[in-house]
Amino acid sequence: MEEPSKFERYVYKNASVYHYMKISLVLENGNRNISSAEFKQLIIRGLKDLYGEIGASFPFDLLKFDENELTAILRVYNSGLVKLWSALTLLGSYQNEACAFRVTQVSPFLLALSGNSRELQFRDQLAS
Amino acid sequence: MSTCHPAPFDQRGILLAKRNPEVKCSVFKASYAHVGNMVRFKSRYLLLELCVSERSSLQLLNEKAISQTLKAAVNRAHGDYGTAHLNIGVLVKYLNALTGVVFIRCRKWNYRLIWSALPFITCLENRGQNVPCFFNCLHVGGTIRTCQKFLVKYNKQQLNRMLLDCKTDDEKQEVRRAILSCSLDYLRGEEAHEDRSNDDDDEEI
Repeated sequence: MEEPSKFERYVYKNASVYHYMKISLVLENGNRNISSAEFKQLIIRGLKDLYGEIGASFPFDLLKFDENELTAILRVYNSGLVKLWSALTLLGSYQNEACAFRVTQVSPFLLALSGNSRELQFRDQLAS
Repeated sequence: MSTCHPAPFDQRGILLAKRNPEVKCSVFKASYAHVGNMVRFKSRYLLLELCVSERSSLQLLNEKAISQTLKAAVNRAHGDYGTAHLNIGVLVKYLNALTGVVFIRCRKWNYRLIWSALPFITCLENRGQNVPCFFNCLHVGGTIRTCQKFLVKYNKQQLNRMLLDCKTDDEKQEVRRAILSCSLDYLRGEEAHEDRSNDDDDEEI
């Protein structure tokens, strides 16, 4: 009989300085060739429209970008999360074409973005 | 709420509300609903000085020109979010064309946003004429009266400074008289304007 595994629970108030967002860009006319620089420029333009020069002056990073799927992982400081998220929500057009940002996951820990219950596959368990 | 009013406190409570209508009445609200909602509307008044290179160009400006420039500057600095803040209770209350004192009224929770956009204003436009200028913030007050008190003190300091620059005795006499007559009770309305226009006259000579 193996002993029951112990687990310890840590509760942090301010766990991490950053927040990580997994987003994807959905275009009306299907996928186009967008480079990572253009993608970041698009987000910055959305921020500037909504919050102006001063309001959009917080830094955020594009950590990963998938050109085929147009999905990305962004990293932003905690104080800028609300602004970034609201700007992504209200961004409506890219080069006169309607587009939308879908926010898939947001977490203060990057590790949490590696697994997503939507993409879970139960094939092995069902087979047995 | 009803449990936190012991009997002797009631009389004091009513007295307080009557004597000082500015007291925040969230504690008294439940029992004294008949007195009315007395939570105070808080605003901040930004006292600015408009610095231009030529004094005569100040005469052309009016409140509308300043509020339009302010709107454009806040739109550039803070985007749609800033413009929305500006539409809630921000008003250019007063502009003195002789000394360039501007009075802007904002809400307590958005005055810092508007204040932060002021350094980016480089020129004012009025009927097609560009007046290069910059805003110098002198004071932030909660009421018009505190700003007026500050302005009287500030003008006194400016007059003292000008006394040192005075060349003829006549000018010195005039400046001394202006300084001695500086007080809030004495100066109300037009007298305040007179004091500031003395300020202006001496500088031009």
